[in-house]
Amino acid sequence: MIRFNRYTLDNGLRILVSEDRSTPLVAMNILYDVGSRDEDPQATGLAHLFEHLMFGGSVNIPDYDTPLQMVGGENNAFTNNDITNYYLTVPSENIETGFWLESDRMLELDFSQKNLDTQKNVVLEEFRQRYLNQPYGDAILKLRPLAYKVHPYRWPTIGMDVAHVENTNLEQIRNFFFSHYAPNNAIMALSGNITPETAIRLSEKWFGTIERRKIKHRNLPIEPEQTESRIITIESDVPSDALYKVWHIGPRNSADFQTLDLITDLLAGGESGRLHTILVRDKKLFSEINAYITSDIDPGLIFVHGKLMKNIDIQHADNAISEVLSGLLAPEGIEDEMEKVKNKFESSTVFSNTSILNKAVNLSFFELMGNADLINHEPELYRKVTRAMVTEATSKYLVPSNCSTLYYKSTNRKL
Amino acid sequence: MSSFSRIQPPVFPVSKVTIPEARSFNLRNGVPVYLIEAGTEPIMRIEFTFRAGLVKEDVPLLASTANIMLTEGSASYSSEELNSLIDFHGAFINSYNEKDRAGIVMFFMNKHIEKILELCREILFMPLFPDNELNSLLQKRHRWYQVNREKVQNRSIEQFFECIFGNNHPYGRQITDDDFSGINPKLLHEFHSRHYSPDNMAVIVSGRLHEKTTELLDHFFGDIEAGKSISKEINLVLKGSNERKVHVEKNGAVQTAIRIGSPTINKRHPDYPGLKFLDSVLGGYFGSRLMRNIREDKGFTYGISSSVTSLNLSGYLIISAEVAPKNLQMTIDEIYREIRLLQEVPAGSEELSVVRNYMSGEMVRMFDGPFALAESFRSAWEFGLDNNYYHRLWDKIMTISPDEIITLARTYYNTDELYQVTVGSK
Repeated sequence: MIRFNRYTLDNGLRILVSEDRSTPLVAMNILYDVGSRDEDPQATGLAHLFEHLMFGGSVNIPDYDTPLQMVGGENNAFTNNDITNYYLTVPSENIETGFWLESDRMLELDFSQKNLDTQKNVVLEEFRQRYLNQPYGDAILKLRPLAYKVHPYRWPTIGMDVAHVENTNLEQIRNFFFSHYAPNNAIMALSGNITPETAIRLSEKWFGTIERRKIKHRNLPIEPEQTESRIITIESDVPSDALYKVWHIGPRNSADFQTLDLITDLLAGGESGRLHTILVRDKKLFSEINAYITSDIDPGLIFVHGKLMKNIDIQHADNAISEVLSGLLAPEGIEDEMEKVKNKFESSTVFSNTSILNKAVNLSFFELMGNADLINHEPELYRKVTRAMVTEATSKYLVPSNCSTLYYKSTNRKL
Repeated sequence: MSSFSRIQPPVFPVSKVTIPEARSFNLRNGVPVYLIEAGTEPIMRIEFTFRAGLVKEDVPLLASTANIMLTEGSASYSSEELNSLIDFHGAFINSYNEKDRAGIVMFFMNKHIEKILELCREILFMPLFPDNELNSLLQKRHRWYQVNREKVQNRSIEQFFECIFGNNHPYGRQITDDDFSGINPKLLHEFHSRHYSPDNMAVIVSGRLHEKTTELLDHFFGDIEAGKSISKEINLVLKGSNERKVHVEKNGAVQTAIRIGSPTINKRHPDYPGLKFLDSVLGGYFGSRLMRNIREDKGFTYGISSSVTSLNLSGYLIISAEVAPKNLQMTIDEIYREIRLLQEVPAGSEELSVVRNYMSGEMVRMFDGPFALAESFRSAWEFGLDNNYYHRLWDKIMTISPDEIITLARTYYNTDELYQVTVGSK
């Protein structure tokens, strides 16, 4: 149970405060309701590039990092399909510096050509490091456009094409800022050694004078229902064959999200998950296999991917995955496994919430989904999942006509 | 609000961290236990640590395989049962095998302490190392190895260790394809009884401790006896390669990994806290000189960093980055230029106070909460040090002078002695 106070400033900034006296630190998280789904298909990668520019100085503060380091703080940020999220932790005596820094970059950035040019290069190197210079690194780049035909989830956060990042100009950056970065498009959560009174007083002082802005209306194309299975094969100089499968599911706040999440835990939660037990341990088809659900706000995906052992036929391995999925429909033995994954969910929630930073990030995200209170109802929703719900969700979503498959084949025959 | 100006609020010095002392006692068989009471939730972390790391192996992969195989079946449980029971009780197990130490760390809710400790006893002291599980583990690891060899990051760090410690010592030896066929259950049993024994063991417990923690630990682990096998010391010499520059070509790599560094002192040396400070200035945090120059000014890399690591028999300092081949030489030149600047030009007072404050904040984070406390405890304790080490580190952070930094940079970043490894295309 996370206790917190909620407050909204006149300019629309939503504030959540969860006080914890047992730590000398405070975590501050600011979530902006903008992600790569809000990008123009002709200019993808902008939300993420923008995240980099947020550290290049704001209207009154030439350098973000130094003053924060000067007060013993540490910070970072991430961008995904849905949100751009900035966080810092700092010894509590210096939390006001956090307010000063974050409010200044919400007020206005210092848009400089030099900073833009440098960060374009940094992002280009990030692209090379993550996607091009790792075996299988580009699989996700191929898989997204296979699964999504019209929705912006079809491109990755880093961008559909590096040329989009390279071609970004200052005008686009300015427009992006003023149409997405605003108090009325942000949620701030504070967690740790700070009282709600202090948090609210400092929020009023530093953020209260930032004016509302007109946020670009979000009107995203709806992904049409997939009606037949899709499959592509690519060949590359990698050590072994790999297999990727995704199925469409509903949005994060749909009623069967928790059921589907538990299904991925049944499949791959820890060493005792079914995929690992059957396909890695018993049948020795894969050297590793994983399954997970995306927490996308718009309709997301379930992923299953694995790397094959030597001399295993990829079609055979693919069929074996289908068999494991069908196994979820049989009633045998599943009750104990469900108890296991529910217990594991509960304890991971407790462990995750021992970190003030996780608490602040999670509160912000649940508030974006409608209400931070939801975070305290999640364990109950997981508790309530029944065997019938697992069967129903499996036969509704985990079916071939809803699936996109990528065969990632090795050209390296000597292995 | 018209008079409101957005100037920086007052900066308060970070108050010195209070580090709780661990309580200690011995089990009946003499195994030392350290207890750190902290946290607000009824959860615990228990680490069982053994001098059973890489350094103890005379056959490559033996130490890591013995460690990973601990959960692959025991006297009372099959591997599937062990893993299911851990998951069923909502616990998390981290097995670790490092250069010096190996062991397991369990995270669990207090109400399950009895079952968890029973499982730990099975895992640690009654492993069966079954043939079938061993073979499939080795096959899997061989596949992982083949994938990891393709990553310039992995390849370069392995090559770096070989350069600085030599291929004859477990610290520096690189794994080869053949090594995956050299392990059998007999070797594992021997290694296990020699190194996973009470005389090589310690227990570090932290969290909101269950009231019966001490008696349950004694119940489950106090009767374990030392193995009969005679300890076999491996006396190999650490000897770096004569070649200071090594390039491994990898065709088609769009980035080249750079690793520059050398063996160095470890935590037991009085200069170590100062060296930690120097390392932070050079590349130890986001605002470091290397990050500012190579990433934030030139945009050559997604990240560049330096670090100093202590090992029982040595230590090493290392600078790491991945860059496009066209920027490789410029990046290397800039790295050496930054080192020379540290050796020749006194650091300014503003930079020093940024690093002092950043590092003091880091120290607050190192002792925040039961898990961080246990990790910090272990990383001093394993070198025979106690909290005094952290007090010395704090004092050094607060008082180090520009001259001291120059002296340290000249002593420990002697450019003639640095190794330079690059993996990728030139």
